[in-house]
Amino acid sequence: MGIGPSTKETTLHHFRDPLLEVVAADTDLDLMGIIIVGTPDDNKDKLLVGTRTAVWAEAMRADGVILSSDGWGNSDVDYTNTCEQLGIRGIPVTGLNFSGTVAQFVVVNDYLDGIIDINKSEDGTETNVVGENNMVELDCLKAKALLKLKMRQKDQKNQNR
Amino acid sequence: MRFHLPFNKMEVTRLAEKEIDLRRLVIKAFHMTDVEFGEHNDITVDGHMTVSKEMLDDFVAREEHIEKIDIQIIKPGDHDRWTNTIMDIIPISTKVLGKLGEGITHTVTGVYVMLTGVDVNGKQCHEFGSSEGNLKDQLYLNRAGTPGDDDYIISFDVTLAAGMGQERPGPTAAHRVCDEFIQTYREKLKKFKGEKCTERHEYHDVVRPGKKRVLIVRQVAGQGAMYDTHLFANEPSGVEGGRSIIDMGNMPILITPNEYRDGIIRSMQ
Repeated sequence: MGIGPSTKETTLHHFRDPLLEVVAADTDLDLMGIIIVGTPDDNKDKLLVGTRTAVWAEAMRADGVILSSDGWGNSDVDYTNTCEQLGIRGIPVTGLNFSGTVAQFVVVNDYLDGIIDINKSEDGTETNVVGENNMVELDCLKAKALLKLKMRQKDQKNQNR
Repeated sequence: MRFHLPFNKMEVTRLAEKEIDLRRLVIKAFHMTDVEFGEHNDITVDGHMTVSKEMLDDFVAREEHIEKIDIQIIKPGDHDRWTNTIMDIIPISTKVLGKLGEGITHTVTGVYVMLTGVDVNGKQCHEFGSSEGNLKDQLYLNRAGTPGDDDYIISFDVTLAAGMGQERPGPTAAHRVCDEFIQTYREKLKKFKGEKCTERHEYHDVVRPGKKRVLIVRQVAGQGAMYDTHLFANEPSGVEGGRSIIDMGNMPILITPNEYRDGIIRSMQ
């Protein structure tokens, strides 16, 4: 369970991914790389792989992370945990996720305020139409702008200390 | 004294802010203007593609979980037709020089391969929602991951043995034979003269010292059965030689922007 037809990212999507191009094109940012992390079936494993991802980001001294997901439902457990693990390490995080009306996060925490809903369907549902609820360039621009804002806010907070 | 930075330090600061170029990837696209059935799989630099069903009998004989395969050529806009659930949409790309993420890659535009799957009992190769139905209603065109209005689609439709649409070896076998089919085009595409390309794109992995360091994290399928993601195949967007994220424990794997752009991921869901 986890990936609906309308949110799934095809091989062609990964080949022409808009998020990468949006981030790479921004000369204010130093794109370090892309982490690919799976969504295990087991709950304990879900928490493990997300935590390892956050440790990577911390060790790489990332100033910010954009997290995307091509599924919804139980893969939200992975997604929200990764956001939380980044958040408690003080790393600003924004992201892209399908919510619509049917897929609000099944678990929540304090680090989900920068997540863009990539729903495109009129009624906010899993339409079973391949590609419909995929991220597009505009979603990516929003997530990037929000991340830049969050990183600036963190800098300001640190300066005021 | 704090504003009196020695000259050599200023120089270092200035240099440090210069972009550092790590490596270059060139992707050359060859546009196909017509696709039709013929005796053998073939592709020509002037935009003609021929599709043959000659390999299919051998695939079916060899793969124990596959009962039948059909290929259809879907013309642009000719989408008022039945489709089984869409497992993947795949570009035809091949490495010409260097490894994935650097050097030169050739890719085809104007036509994409659509892998669909069902089992002999009509059970679709999916369990969390499936996309079978009328293709014009089930495929949203012009997304990054879907064909455009003017693109041809080669439908590679696999019928699996009973129940194998939900077991890992079934969808994996479908992807494997589809990849072998695509490989015949890759072998020809490799030999195309680069200067005859219809588009040329140059990508650089760069370091921008002093700028905000950002990491992209992509959460992908790894739950099992048909929810799998492969990385590191021999060819761009390929299967052969790839490693499953499930087999790697779903652990985070770091890739470069150019590796990602060069098709290091095969989406198996």
